[in-house]
Amino acid sequence: MTTEYNTTAGVPAAGKSEDILVVNNLKKYFPIKGGIFGRQVGTVKAVDDVSFRIKRGTTMGLVGESGCGKSTVGRTILRLNDKTAGEVLFDGVDIFALSREKLRRMRPKLQIIFQDPYSSLSPRLPIREIIGEGVREHGIVPNAELDDYLSDIMKKCGLQEFHKDRYPHEFSGGQRQRICIARALAMNPEFILCDEPVSALDVSIQAQIINLLNDLQNQFGLTYLFISHDLSVVEHISDTVGVMYLGSLVEYAETTKIFDKPLHPYTQALFSAIPVPDPNYKMNRIVLEGSIPSPANPPSGCKFHTRCQNCMEVCKYVSPEWIEVENGHFCACHLHNNAEQNAAAQETMEKAKADGKK
Amino acid sequence: MKDNRNQPFNQQYELKNAPPSAELENTPDGGEEYSLNDDRRVKVLSPGAMVAKRFFRNRIAVLGLVILSFMFLFSFVGGLIMPYAEDQLFYRTEYQNKEYAGVVKNDELRFETADGQSFDSAAQAYTVLALQQNKDSFEFLGVEYKIVTEGEDLYRITDAAGTTLGIAFKDVVASSVEGQNISFDLRLSALKASANGDASFTVDGVSYELDENGVLTSGGDEIAFISRYVVNPIMSDVFLSRDFKEQLIVSLEEGHDAFKFTDADGTESEYKINYRADVKTWSVMKATETRTYDTYASPNRKHWLGTDRNGMDMLTRLMYGGRVSLLIGFIVELIASVLGMIMGGVAGYFGKWVDNLIMRIVDIFYCIPSLPIIIILGAAMDALSVPPKLRMIYLMLILGFLGWPSMARLIRGQILSLREQEFMVATEAGGINVSRRIFKHLVPNVIPQMIVSVSMGIGSTIITEATLSFLGLGVKFPFASWGNIINDVNNTYVLTNFWFIWIPAGLLILLTVLAFNLIGDGLRDAFDPKMKR
Repeated sequence: MTTEYNTTAGVPAAGKSEDILVVNNLKKYFPIKGGIFGRQVGTVKAVDDVSFRIKRGTTMGLVGESGCGKSTVGRTILRLNDKTAGEVLFDGVDIFALSREKLRRMRPKLQIIFQDPYSSLSPRLPIREIIGEGVREHGIVPNAELDDYLSDIMKKCGLQEFHKDRYPHEFSGGQRQRICIARALAMNPEFILCDEPVSALDVSIQAQIINLLNDLQNQFGLTYLFISHDLSVVEHISDTVGVMYLGSLVEYAETTKIFDKPLHPYTQALFSAIPVPDPNYKMNRIVLEGSIPSPANPPSGCKFHTRCQNCMEVCKYVSPEWIEVENGHFCACHLHNNAEQNAAAQETMEKAKADGKK
Repeated sequence: MKDNRNQPFNQQYELKNAPPSAELENTPDGGEEYSLNDDRRVKVLSPGAMVAKRFFRNRIAVLGLVILSFMFLFSFVGGLIMPYAEDQLFYRTEYQNKEYAGVVKNDELRFETADGQSFDSAAQAYTVLALQQNKDSFEFLGVEYKIVTEGEDLYRITDAAGTTLGIAFKDVVASSVEGQNISFDLRLSALKASANGDASFTVDGVSYELDENGVLTSGGDEIAFISRYVVNPIMSDVFLSRDFKEQLIVSLEEGHDAFKFTDADGTESEYKINYRADVKTWSVMKATETRTYDTYASPNRKHWLGTDRNGMDMLTRLMYGGRVSLLIGFIVELIASVLGMIMGGVAGYFGKWVDNLIMRIVDIFYCIPSLPIIIILGAAMDALSVPPKLRMIYLMLILGFLGWPSMARLIRGQILSLREQEFMVATEAGGINVSRRIFKHLVPNVIPQMIVSVSMGIGSTIITEATLSFLGLGVKFPFASWGNIINDVNNTYVLTNFWFIWIPAGLLILLTVLAFNLIGDGLRDAFDPKMKR
């Protein structure tokens, strides 16, 4: 009864690049409308110049405070939002260059799992429809096999066959999240954007879902972009981690590297807040002062300088460059500038000061 | 690759090391052991079934449903059962006493001149004089007349030679056959026989029989009727039969003041007799049948709720009126909700300038004072004398067209909030096509609010229709509607005297609108998933 539907997604086809997803200088600004005539009076720079790449079959974690633009990055990558600038290449194809219909045909390859398992399931459709409609829409399996295919997928996600005729309101949060995963998985995707998939669930269920995602990755060779503000979860699941602050990526490295030796002061502060289940452990919390600045009016220079404990004069005037400090360990901080970059930064600062005084 | 990491610092670490099959709570691992709280033991209910379940637990809403079902049966089935048509007129027969005949008792001598003789009125006067003086002869203008007494109050006047000149008599011989004259000889012989009590006699070789009632027959055929009373019809075209006269006279003599008589056609009528002393005449009044419209009849066996001012059966009118009222309610709401759904849906789904445009149109519609518009249109239709059926259709269209903005606003709001829900983003991410997104994901989620709004709306539409019909601008005669039934009550006389005109119709409107509101409330509660009962 259970036919195995082996997906080919995990096997890198010949000629396909190693990087499944490349994001170059992505920007997403939301206009602020005001006044009587709805003129644009400003912009919220939700995503400001973000670049990264994800290798096929790996997981990239994206962490940061609430409101730092993690979800917006994710949604813009899937073209659920329009971008302001930059490009997103999926398998070498520019997502934003596709026509509507081509994009629609492309959709199954890029799936998303939402944070809130309650609002992400259509309340008036049975599970069969919720999971199966996209499969039917894109003809992923022949209609005759659809039922078996759904059973198979649901079993893989830890759901049972008889759940098919149920409605979302009959499930618990964990089960709903499994349904969301099954919906994404049924589309036979290559890439899944996990937008805080476990933050709405209690801890025991979180573990189940994380393990499920891990299992599925091993089974199908999926690629994840895992957005979370829960660092321990990210550490557990990710191969590489990007840290975002106020719309920009401040640090990016392999998980082990970044957790062993965080370079950016923000990352250091963030990681110092990871709880340790040991009552005798003395935590060296780096406490950040103040709250995150408004993305509508970000600070000049380095966006983090208002809260940085290592703030220097130059940070207030010059925004740091995105530099590769070690092999595969990127960081945007003046602390890690080389001599040449420092000189350039100083020069820019002098200029800015001079302009400011006039 | 991740397994090499060895930094356990939260609970998840413990859990993730457990075998995966144990973690997945519902993984079917071949074992068929189900716990008591197994999902499969719970009856699966679709959201629709849940709503129905919750709805039927609400007693007041069910009461509304029962009332409404009754209204539907009453209106749509009742009309089929009732033997009367919607605009069938009923008549009632009224009896009016009309003067029919006059009766005079003949106390004066009457004269009849023999054929070919001369016996003028002067001679007749002398005859009366001579009879008063008990003379048996008299002279007039040198001619001698002799009076021969033939019986009581019957005198034959002859000349000196004994030739009969004429007769004087008090009893009247009235011909029984219309248009037939009675010859002098026959009259004389008949009167003689009557006076002398003879039962039979012969005139010109024909034998006649006379019975004690004064009926003269010949060979079984009635010829005439002899009586002291003179009966004349008031209307010249009426012929009074002998039977009638006989019965009338019998009643008179017995002192009755009324009698019944069945005429040759077999219709029985009642006659009243009045004696008018001043002219010494009995006037006979006949009760005549007149058919009039049976207006404002009180409830009776034939008309359970009486009749209206046109003489139509109220119960039947109420049934047909219910059809019209309910139909108008439904069709108007259908038009309004379809229009509202399309406009609101388009505005909500596409947003931006489309939304702006449609919502401004809605605002404009809200600014239109609907009652004056409808009144003006009603008056215009009056002026153009639009046929009642067409008028009804126009009314539905107008009300429906004026009603869509509120529905559009409701739907738009719903769609706007639904559009931002994550399941709509999920359909976008799943590459589901637009029509399926709208009809499978958006519409089913809007339907509940729509049903509630429609069920309440039907009630208010019925009220509006009733108001318009009451003002004479809505449904027009011959079509009935609950509103124009109440329209009959346009003065205090009807209001106070004919309760059956307006109370049933008012009650039906009240109950129907109430039922729609109860159902609407019940549905709203039932659709609310937060209501657990």
